[in-house]
Amino acid sequence: MLEQILCIDDDPITLMLCKKVIARSSFSNEIITAQNGEEALHYFNTLKYSNTKSNIKPELIFLDLNMPIMGGWEFLDHFTSSAYSEFNKASVIVLSSTIDPDDLAKAKKYPIIIDFLSKPITQAMLEYLKKKIGLQ
Amino acid sequence: MKSKTHKITLIYVSISIIVAVLCHKLFSLYFSESQYLSLSLVKDILFILATGLVFSYILSKNKNRNSSVFEKLNQTNEEIKESNEKYDIVAKATSDTIWDWKIQEDSINWNKGIESVFGYNPEDVGKTSKWWFDKIHPEDSIRMSIKLYSFIEQKTEKWQDQYRFRCSDGTYKYVLDRGFLLKDENGRAIRMIGAIQDITKQKEEEQRLKLLETVITQSKDSILITEANSVDRKIPKIVYVNPAFSQMSGYRSDEIIGKSTNIFKGPKSDSEELKKLLRAIKNEEECVIETITYTKTQEEYWVRFSMIPIFNNEGVISHWISIQRDITDEKKLETEKEHLIRELTQNNKDLKQFSYITSHNLRAPLSNLIGLLNLIEDLPIENEELEEILAGFTKSTHLLNETINDLVKVIIIKDNPSMQKEEVSLQEVFENVFSQLSFQIELHKPIIKLKFDKVPKLITNKAYLESILLNLLTNSIKYKSENRKLKISIIAEQIDNKTILSFKDNGIGIDLERNRDKIFGLYQRFHNYPDSKGLGLYLVKSQVETMGGTIAIDSEVNKGTTFTITFKN
Repeated sequence: MLEQILCIDDDPITLMLCKKVIARSSFSNEIITAQNGEEALHYFNTLKYSNTKSNIKPELIFLDLNMPIMGGWEFLDHFTSSAYSEFNKASVIVLSSTIDPDDLAKAKKYPIIIDFLSKPITQAMLEYLKKKIGLQ
Repeated sequence: MKSKTHKITLIYVSISIIVAVLCHKLFSLYFSESQYLSLSLVKDILFILATGLVFSYILSKNKNRNSSVFEKLNQTNEEIKESNEKYDIVAKATSDTIWDWKIQEDSINWNKGIESVFGYNPEDVGKTSKWWFDKIHPEDSIRMSIKLYSFIEQKTEKWQDQYRFRCSDGTYKYVLDRGFLLKDENGRAIRMIGAIQDITKQKEEEQRLKLLETVITQSKDSILITEANSVDRKIPKIVYVNPAFSQMSGYRSDEIIGKSTNIFKGPKSDSEELKKLLRAIKNEEECVIETITYTKTQEEYWVRFSMIPIFNNEGVISHWISIQRDITDEKKLETEKEHLIRELTQNNKDLKQFSYITSHNLRAPLSNLIGLLNLIEDLPIENEELEEILAGFTKSTHLLNETINDLVKVIIIKDNPSMQKEEVSLQEVFENVFSQLSFQIELHKPIIKLKFDKVPKLITNKAYLESILLNLLTNSIKYKSENRKLKISIIAEQIDNKTILSFKDNGIGIDLERNRDKIFGLYQRFHNYPDSKGLGLYLVKSQVETMGGTIAIDSEVNKGTTFTITFKN
């Protein structure tokens, strides 16, 4: 089981689903959510400058692409920069409803993206991911 | 001559009588009768001697004169003979038909040409000028006779004329007739001699050239001819322009002849194209350019301009021919077309983007619904009615999801004209398809006949081919006849450079009379089955066409359906 994961999506129902499905399949202890890329970066910034001694940081990120304020691609461009070097060892899973082939092609250019999955999140999907990241 | 002879005879007779009478008188006066007899004898002898001498003198003189006359005659005769021979030789050499017309007697003689050139037998040739005039083409005869008679009446100096002369076989030959007059001492025309030359070939050639010339003069394209090469390596000087050129450029031919075509150059002319032209001229090569050029009034127009070198027999360039066409309208259309294509491409791109966004926005809440329903599945539900409602809810949601997924497939196929192709084993593809349909195949147990030995492998897109076969097989199972066992035969063949895949079943078929144009259309359904969405065949056709193939259908209601898919190798 992972310690902490981050779900970035502007749709509260998707976030609710993520939380419930992840909880049921014992995928992660803690689920942090953010409504867009900026909020997510803000979360990392707080982690960086907070005085808490806890070493816990997201190990996996579920990322949506189309979001207001800051979309998935823009988030990735910031997140993969040196400013977030202590966090960007985490893997990113794109979880989207897009069918645009350009998005798929673009995803292949980011080594940090380990998979591109279609919504909705399911328990089967999480089982598959567990195998992929070597939790089982 | 005769009178002279009479005179001499008369003088002689008179002198003889006078001498005889005088002697008789004198002798009878002075001499006796006996003396008279002997004297008379002496006198006769003397007289005879005297006349004999006179005769001999006259005869010898006459003889001399006669022989000189004879000689002269002989000479003249020789000259005439020689002249005749020369005439014959010339007549033969010229191959002209020569005629000799005695005007007062109206008798006309023809040489052999009338037979050899015009085909008339000597016995058919008339002896009068009427025969001649009758043979002249009616359209030419009046003009010809007016000219001829004005010459005979010596109103004109020379006579030569062209007219058509009828041959013995009824055809006409173009002839050139030239003649001269012989006059008597009073200057009256008494004889005319002429020579007819057959110029049919020249005339035909002339008419042919005239016809060819109309190509240049009547052409809507500008044609100009220039000198071989200019000294200063510029475009050579113009020697001819046709009327279309004047029309197009506004220059009259007398204004432009002798000038260089450089005058068409203007601010908007394509200098690269003009350089190409100069290079071609230097290398004596054909060339075509397109550029903006200018009329005399400096109006610009687009021209397609070709230069073709013309070589003489020695292979040396003698002229250039240039053909020019005003392509302003063409260019305008081209620009419009390009603009339209750009606009359409942009529109298409926008629409595609729109469809991606729409589909994303549809899929997002739908995926939530599905996710939520998945969560409900794990929860125990006590209320029966709620369970029923949720079941309906689940079914509808999944159907909506399928529909949207199918539509997404369509969008992606349409957007993917250059998909990857690989070598695919047909057998393998079918095994995959069968395993996906194993449940239905187990249920209905169709008789399936496969024949792939002719085409074991195919260069194609595997996913598309699977999808095509899956759709067709699903359709066959879905629309099988209830009255007979389902039979499906799938055969692959290689004909020329085409691979033909035929897919045949004995199902309920489709009424092609009514539905032929709709078969492969989007959302076309031919049977009221609950789970038919009208997408399958549309997808199949899209996928086949994306791979560069074609699909055809043959179907009969209650007999079955055959799909024939053709791929070019």
